[in-house]
Amino acid sequence: MRIPNKLAALIVGLLLTVSAVPARAVDLEKRVIRTKLDNGLTVLMLERKFSPTVSLYIRYRVGAVDEVKGQTGAAHFLEHMMFKGTTTIGAIDYQQEKDLLARIEQTGSKLDQEKMKGDQTQTDKVDKLVARLQKLQAEHRRHYRSNEIDRLYTENGATGMNAATGQDITSYYVSLPANKIELWARIESDRLMNPVFREFYTERDVVMEEKRQRTETSPKGRLYEAFMSAAYKVHPYGMPILGTTEDLTFISQDALRHIHKKYLNPNNIVIAVVGDINPDATLELIERYFGKLPKSDVPPVEITPEPPQKKERSIEVEFDANPSVIIGFHKPAPPAFDDYVFEVLEILLTKGRTSRLYAKLVLDGQIAESVSAYNGLPASRYPNLFAFFAAPRHPHTNDELIAAIFQEIENLKTQLVTDEELTRAKNQMKMAYLKGLNTNSDLASTLSYYELLLGDYRYFSRYTQQIDKITAADIQRAAVKYLTTQNRTVAVLKKPAAQKTDEIRNEK
Amino acid sequence: MKNKIRRYLFIAMLFFFLPAIFFSTAKADVRLVPADKIKYPPLKFSIQLAERIELENGIVVFYMSDREVPLVSISATIRAGSIYDPPQKEGLAQLTAYLLRTGGTAGIKSAELDRRLDFLAASPYFSTSSENVSVDFSFLKSDMDECLHLLSEMMRKPAFEKEKIQLGLSQKLEELRRIEDNPQSLAFREFNRLLYPDDPRGRYATPASIKNIARADLISFHSEYYFPANLVMAVSGDLSRREAIEAVQKHFGSWFSPRPADAPAPPPMKEADGLFFIDKPLSQATLISGEFAASHNDPDFYAFSILDFIIGSGGFPSRIFSAVRNNEGLAYSAGSFYRARSGYGVFGTYAFTKTASTLRAGGMINDILRDAASGSIKQDELDWAKKSLLNALIFSFETPHRIAARQMVIEFEKLPADYLTSYARKIEEVTLADLKRVARKYLKQNKRMTLILGDTQNFGPIPDDWGKPVFIQPLSKDKN
Repeated sequence: MRIPNKLAALIVGLLLTVSAVPARAVDLEKRVIRTKLDNGLTVLMLERKFSPTVSLYIRYRVGAVDEVKGQTGAAHFLEHMMFKGTTTIGAIDYQQEKDLLARIEQTGSKLDQEKMKGDQTQTDKVDKLVARLQKLQAEHRRHYRSNEIDRLYTENGATGMNAATGQDITSYYVSLPANKIELWARIESDRLMNPVFREFYTERDVVMEEKRQRTETSPKGRLYEAFMSAAYKVHPYGMPILGTTEDLTFISQDALRHIHKKYLNPNNIVIAVVGDINPDATLELIERYFGKLPKSDVPPVEITPEPPQKKERSIEVEFDANPSVIIGFHKPAPPAFDDYVFEVLEILLTKGRTSRLYAKLVLDGQIAESVSAYNGLPASRYPNLFAFFAAPRHPHTNDELIAAIFQEIENLKTQLVTDEELTRAKNQMKMAYLKGLNTNSDLASTLSYYELLLGDYRYFSRYTQQIDKITAADIQRAAVKYLTTQNRTVAVLKKPAAQKTDEIRNEK
Repeated sequence: MKNKIRRYLFIAMLFFFLPAIFFSTAKADVRLVPADKIKYPPLKFSIQLAERIELENGIVVFYMSDREVPLVSISATIRAGSIYDPPQKEGLAQLTAYLLRTGGTAGIKSAELDRRLDFLAASPYFSTSSENVSVDFSFLKSDMDECLHLLSEMMRKPAFEKEKIQLGLSQKLEELRRIEDNPQSLAFREFNRLLYPDDPRGRYATPASIKNIARADLISFHSEYYFPANLVMAVSGDLSRREAIEAVQKHFGSWFSPRPADAPAPPPMKEADGLFFIDKPLSQATLISGEFAASHNDPDFYAFSILDFIIGSGGFPSRIFSAVRNNEGLAYSAGSFYRARSGYGVFGTYAFTKTASTLRAGGMINDILRDAASGSIKQDELDWAKKSLLNALIFSFETPHRIAARQMVIEFEKLPADYLTSYARKIEEVTLADLKRVARKYLKQNKRMTLILGDTQNFGPIPDDWGKPVFIQPLSKDKN
């Protein structure tokens, strides 16, 4: 239902002023219980006793990158449909309903096909199909109960219930009173194995509204989409998670089924349970509900990698809004050593008021309203980007801001960062790590994320030690190697020419 | 695609003709417990509360221990929000709070302060709302003395360095320029201006009011509103009760002022009347409606919370969400909100929908509210809402700092001391008759103040009973 949360914020981690993180804070490896079910599904459990609550994450190594060309948005749309119930949740008489669902799909497909004809579309045909579809939908409504998954979770005390689709991973998560774990297992295993795509066509309209809300009416959303599509020419990371408007308009249920099929591979699933639990009983419960998912030996699909970038790319987005820029550079994904280097660089450049770029561009030079660096866009299963998001402060321009950022990048190549900067950045990372240990939901999120992404949650528990190894020379080397002109994509947001003159007139 | 449909039809027919097979096949699924029939073990839960400690100088601190990680968290809430902005100097409260953090102190230059805080990887976060300023700060236990020293300097002895004031003013002007880039932020600001027409809560910073603010204003605002009785604190983390008291006493104990806490007047509760349009040619419109409702200390608060849950804040099954989003596909975001403070409450609705369906979505929301006001809420909705609110209550007690901070706000709002412990019982006691009564009492039967931002020329004909829309200009970002 949402776009991916910023995981990096959770995971940045460690290295204190002097010594190591206190033992009880890093004892994760002793406390996390990691199990694989016979079918290959991975379960992580961590007992925490303060409150009788539990946070549950189930993550699938399936995301927007798994979509077929022309069906962008399918993974995210599927995630919406997973809230529509199952053959036994929301169903009144599923066997009767099934027939109606098939007729709705058939009619809806015909309607889409007619509309897709564009100029050739026959409006009388469309009207007839619309009427038939509405009639079928009205009849269908008598055969199921809407929103049952939400009702069950909510009335049993769920908080933070949501789901998120990313390029790499789709996640479903909720926190519940600790005695209600079985409800979670019942719902999640059932919607994994027996989902029913009710209300498909109305939900497609909802997703279109989501697209309007997040992208079409949002200058930031528009710029981000344009930036990504410029940075990735071949790899699916360049396509928007919500889908292109063209693809979404007529996307079919088969496109969603294609993605859903990939969910059914236990090797692609990680569950994390953190809170006031009895691990044995919890595991038994998970085994009972998820153990029946058959083993799978479907190998992961090969995705054509993005070829190395040969020259600088730049793109302009016109929108009636104040200026802003995104600048990005291709780089390796975790757990590559150089990814850790960029983790440190992100913090060193823009976290805190004394961070290099914030101090120079916002506080001293005062040409920027904001500037932030971000390592790991848009996701981390494939080589990704190190990016800068910045907005100039009036009357300064995008061009001035871009030039200033480029200058700072050159400085990284010619001079070593200072020990003080490096220590400060590492201190910030350690503090973020400690804060990330504070809530059940943060822990469940982080553990399941790394287990699924890298096959080992200990990437997280050992992160501090890796960060500790990063030197000023590493940063310089990485800057020289990756932060080059030919490896660079620059996207700028500016007002349309006509708007500009309008604006000047208004100001006079 | 075609094959698949044919297969579905085939299976459906098969079941139709062979019910016996249907039953035996279906049995595999029947072994699943119906989700409503799962038997849950009892939940052992007793409410743990933070301890209330009052220092000699009147500062109230809520303390709770949390030994899991070696961190300490401190929060404060101060009666120094933007309702105290003097007329023509809107933005002063927020700028003051911003300068406390960024403008240096009597003993420490701003650059040095930033350097030390960043090295400690700890930065107090000051945020300003209409009624209060909140401060949130966490740090390593081992850095507690230094961190509290810095915080105390900032809150008690700000220097308001001139260059930092200039920076704060310029950044605020830039923020004002950028509000119009986000249709939802813009609409909600303009909504508040209509909701509180003759009240400080409806006054917002403009370039002109920002330019009116001088250093002397910041100094006097600080001395006027930052004093012990005007704030409440919460402390939690890896420290004992004694350590907590000693630390707060050491850094804030010598701060004396004879003044009692400010008691802000509630708004006049006379929102502008009618339908308002802001023209902005976007593909999606923002609709917001609002009216005044039960205050937080009114006995009706409990019934109204349930009413709001049923109408539009209780997720998918709530009335607005299920009608506007789920059944009609008109919006991704739609629902209601209820903000209760001591002295007044606000209830509102919102939906973001494509231009062509703007009036239809607005009409549906009107119908839902009219229907609720006329007494249509049903017992099963009440049961569902109660169950949901009561079962989720333990999450208010999920972490020690959440508990302490919650009690801090209850003290600040001057709610009864037993508010947390009696909440469940009071929700439990709400009857269907109560719900009908509060719906009738607070929800207007017909028109409520409604603001729509969007491509107004393409909304289509406005229904007669909506009245004639008044076009408004958003608070200027350019003039003067």
